[in-house]
Amino acid sequence: MKAGSDSELIDAVLAGDVDAFSGLVLRYQDTCVRFAVRMLGSRVDADDVLQSAFMRAFRNLRSCREPERFGGWLYQIVINECKTYATRQRRRDLRFTPATTAIERAVAPGTEPEKASDVGDQIESALAMLPAEQREAFLLKHVEELTYDEMSAMTGVSVPALKMRVKRACDGLRDMLEGVYHG
Amino acid sequence: MVESYDESQQDNDARFAARIAAPLRAAEHVHPSFERRLMEKVRAEGPSLYPAIASDGASWWKRKRVLRVSPIAGLALAAGIGAIVVVSSIAIGSRISSRPAVASATPVAAHQDTVQLVRFVFVDRSAASVELVGDFNEWARGTTALQRSGAPGVWAVSVPLSPGRHEYAFIINGSRWVADPLAVKSTDDFGTESSVIRVASTGNSTT
Repeated sequence: MKAGSDSELIDAVLAGDVDAFSGLVLRYQDTCVRFAVRMLGSRVDADDVLQSAFMRAFRNLRSCREPERFGGWLYQIVINECKTYATRQRRRDLRFTPATTAIERAVAPGTEPEKASDVGDQIESALAMLPAEQREAFLLKHVEELTYDEMSAMTGVSVPALKMRVKRACDGLRDMLEGVYHG
Repeated sequence: MVESYDESQQDNDARFAARIAAPLRAAEHVHPSFERRLMEKVRAEGPSLYPAIASDGASWWKRKRVLRVSPIAGLALAAGIGAIVVVSSIAIGSRISSRPAVASATPVAAHQDTVQLVRFVFVDRSAASVELVGDFNEWARGTTALQRSGAPGVWAVSVPLSPGRHEYAFIINGSRWVADPLAVKSTDDFGTESSVIRVASTGNSTT
């Protein structure tokens, strides 16, 4: 792995040492993958989208305005790539678990709680049923734990609109998961 | 109808979301082959995107093009530069008090081989260094530095450009990207603003 600050690695790439990009890949690949997996509901799709996002970053490295903030810039690209992919995916296939199934699989009040992994699967299935923009807002706020201002900077969406998306995401998840979690 | 989202609802949702999000926060890792597969593509495309810069740091137009100037044209060129420097300094100077940073790009001389010398002027009293990047130097930092020029805070450089549309921006103090505030803007997919100059073959250019 190439050592050095983000800015130094970018300078090296722009000067023709393209292997220096591997330092940036190794530094940020795991930072981005959680969001991509949760957003797309598939590790295979997340891998495809991250490959595409990193290549997009590589091809546009000259327009990285603040090299010392490469991580944030890359994350913005990942978010956009995931959103585009998720929207396209939603239209074209039905691989996500239908909402009714997610509800049926949820634990009814008063019954034995399911194993943690099953509950996690139900949450992921319910999450996958949300519209892409609500899923994105929920993940950025409550899983990636960004502030609304940070989310707005990343997505270009206003803070009030993001709050409303998070609210609707919570409403939708609550409806689908009421058997798993009350509240 | 406008939906409201008051603080108690937000608190309620936050408690609910905290429980839902807990399993989703588990770490994920890319496939072990991720970096290798990516770097294969990077190495395939890289050399054409980012050719190695010569060790003397010269930008592509210095290395690959020769600006041929006849003796008469050379005199005209020198006279043109001097005149433009003066004109630019006066014009820019009047703006210094009202704007922290201004810039301009002005064609100063044309050559019959269609390459034109365009003078880029940037004014910022707080700048310690100013660079010019654009499609004409492959957006390469560290290749086209503006020099202090006369009045305090005035930076300038002249660059030979071929006729046509060019995009450019300034980099202040080695890190801050600034589009020319006086020129037409161009925005890429990531929201990064650059400026546009159109160089005509006759010597008249517009921004």
